Amino acid sequence: MIGLQEVGHRHELRTPAGHPVPKGEPILELHSLRKNYGAVEALKPATMTFLSGEVHAIVGENGAGKSTLIKLLTGVITRTSGEILWCGEPVQLATPNEAISRGINAVHQEVVLCPHLTVAANMFLGDEMNRRGLMRKRAMTDAAQGVLDDLGFNLPAGAVLGSLTIGQQQLVATARAAMRGTQFLIFDEPTAYLTRQESEQLFRLIRRLQSEGVTIVYISHRLEEVFELADRVSVLRDGTHVGTRGIGETNEAELIALMINRTIEQIYHKEHFSAGETLVETRGLTGPGFADVSLTVRAGEIVGLYGLIGAGRSEFALGLYGRHRLSAGEVFWQGRKVEIDSERKAMELGIALAPESRRDQGLCLNLPIGLNINLPVFRKLTRGLTINRAEEAANADRQIRDLKIKTPSRRVLASAMSGGNQQKIVIGKWLSHGAKLFIFDEPTVGVDVGTKAEIYRLFARLLEKGAGIILISSYLPEVYELSDRLHVFRQGRLVGSHGYHTASHEEVLAQAIGA
Amino acid sequence: MSVETVESSAGPTPRKGISILFGLTLLGLLLFLWLLLGFATNSFWTPNNISNLLRQGAMTAILAVGQTFVIITAGIDLSVGAVVGFTSVIVAWLLAAGVPLWLALIATLAIGVLIGAFHAFGIVRMGLPAFIITLATLTSLRGIGLLITNGSTISITNEAFTNFSRADFLGVPSLFWMVIVVAVPAYIFLHLSRFGRYLFAVGSNAEAARLSGVNVNRTTYLAYILSSTCAAFVGLLLASRIGIGNATQAEGWELQAIASSVIGGTSLFGAVGSVHGPLLGAFILATINNGANLLNVNSFWQRIITGLLIIVIVYFDQLRRRGER
Repeated sequence: MIGLQEVGHRHELRTPAGHPVPKGEPILELHSLRKNYGAVEALKPATMTFLSGEVHAIVGENGAGKSTLIKLLTGVITRTSGEILWCGEPVQLATPNEAISRGINAVHQEVVLCPHLTVAANMFLGDEMNRRGLMRKRAMTDAAQGVLDDLGFNLPAGAVLGSLTIGQQQLVATARAAMRGTQFLIFDEPTAYLTRQESEQLFRLIRRLQSEGVTIVYISHRLEEVFELADRVSVLRDGTHVGTRGIGETNEAELIALMINRTIEQIYHKEHFSAGETLVETRGLTGPGFADVSLTVRAGEIVGLYGLIGAGRSEFALGLYGRHRLSAGEVFWQGRKVEIDSERKAMELGIALAPESRRDQGLCLNLPIGLNINLPVFRKLTRGLTINRAEEAANADRQIRDLKIKTPSRRVLASAMSGGNQQKIVIGKWLSHGAKLFIFDEPTVGVDVGTKAEIYRLFARLLEKGAGIILISSYLPEVYELSDRLHVFRQGRLVGSHGYHTASHEEVLAQAIGA
Repeated sequence: MSVETVESSAGPTPRKGISILFGLTLLGLLLFLWLLLGFATNSFWTPNNISNLLRQGAMTAILAVGQTFVIITAGIDLSVGAVVGFTSVIVAWLLAAGVPLWLALIATLAIGVLIGAFHAFGIVRMGLPAFIITLATLTSLRGIGLLITNGSTISITNEAFTNFSRADFLGVPSLFWMVIVVAVPAYIFLHLSRFGRYLFAVGSNAEAARLSGVNVNRTTYLAYILSSTCAAFVGLLLASRIGIGNATQAEGWELQAIASSVIGGTSLFGAVGSVHGPLLGAFILATINNGANLLNVNSFWQRIITGLLIIVIVYFDQLRRRGER
């Protein structure tokens, strides 16, 4: 293992029990592995083989079943049916501990470590070096520093984890996994938050782990990374394993075709309308997380905001919506200068926001669907002191019907709905409220392909009625195909603007990354 | 779909049928206890004892209703017992100073409003956890009350005031009527008005509520003011009942109120609760205490039984909720 000469003999012994599998032989086999959540099939029976020492990429759209697969392999959830063979023997993988003790580890996109502890403490968490019951803090810090230096990460082991960037934290998580005698390491979209330099470091680490015999599963949206790193690639679509290819015998076009199984035109339903009056114009808008953003949205057009996660797009949207205080700049609403100092003010002007995170910002999950849909409009439903219950019910049922939300009743809790149906509830809230400018922040994350297409058609209906849309997405094809005007954000600033299809994917991506 | 539209209620209680069922189970438990005590003792079903029981339960019931508003927003109000003791001092003090009765009552309730507003201020503006700010006022209010009375009690000589709690109306103790006076508007507020919906939304996900245009700060103020005002109201009733103002009265009532609320199906994680639940919870607790007295059960056992009951009822309530998912 890496850098273990510094860590000491004890950790080297943590290589899990079981026969070592020769390179190129199956180390992990899935036979008809299946996972259901209630009636929803998150993973349809999948049969896949991972070979010892390979880098095996898994690609697929959001909601294709990638995260379900990882959770199954790391013992976070248990399978509904099927069989998992580890080194040729059937295993349960019922708990995270079992997975770790067998040498299966995952590095998640969102770092799941303790931000208040030091880097070293995190690397040794659950496996501290002790002497007579007391922790050997200095020894651990030194050992951790040794590992980090050896990996070529320029990171201080004594620093508090939370003081590092998310990318650096991810490197720490990787180092932690590498230190623990991992035989099988899963990376879940590791580069989403990384700078280019950090990505390079990560790739070097992955190749190095591979050369030491570790099997790598690499999950990414970015096909160029897949072609750079992987030996083989498997494609998931709508919970189905649709194929595995050697990297030499496939190409991007084939993978995309497998992933979406339909042409881009079929998914990205786009209608062009002649742009009407200017709805909103920002001039040099500055607030927490974004600076000097000037753009306009007109009736009948979709304005796309593209950038990496954390580029300031959502912050801009929240600022425009009155959630965060603006420090500089002006907002003009239909030509009139306005101060949007609260969410309610934004709503009254005619701005609606479907926020980025359904779980944290969009929905009251443990409340009924009906209450969620009506939340912005209870004022309108109130007659005198009390709510008109007939209207309340009718309004909820109308949105459920119009948006085809799949629920037996408006009284079902929002948490019982799938991602796509939850997104429809969030959208339904604002359809019943009514607005001129709709801001959709990552509206299709975790949404199945069918619902995606419904959402895009809904966009067209809104535009037709004279609304304007700001569409925020980290998925370039989506904003690229739908936006009449595409703005690129990087580090809180607007760094590029393009008309419909006037720039190539590569140009837009380069602006977003800052290459 | 269409069938459900007719019966029309997208109320905050998910699966309304089951919520009613749970309410009925609690009611069944209460009636069962009453029947049991009727067989086990000769004195339970006497008018005197029933009146006594209704008086005992009334004050906890009112506190529990106020507490429930706060818990639905995923908060907690630990101060209500101290507010009861403190406001009993205030009203006694005002009456002793010769303030007219009507003014003393209004002023005391206004103190309740102020205390609640202070709690919400601490939570909203100072960013303190509800547990901390209400714990702080719990101890401070007792201290202020003791300072005012110099550690003793203030007797109340106003007979109109002290007779009130002993009076009956239509054969039912006036204290129990006060429960109805509080519960009916509370029901309208929580289950029929938009502010009730906002309490649930804030308790479920404050950020989602805010982004949907709900004034989260105002909703928080509302919840804590209602809780403290209910407590001040109970302070008046207690002062009337015992005829004195004493800052150390109502020790531990906050826990009785929270227990009643939780037994009544309120979730301490917020966004689940009703008005009828805590009322039933309060009278179940009162019945247990009353019955234990009649049966000559050691009062120490009463406490143990109450604790066990909380565990059992809440455990079954959670099983039921998990089954729903």
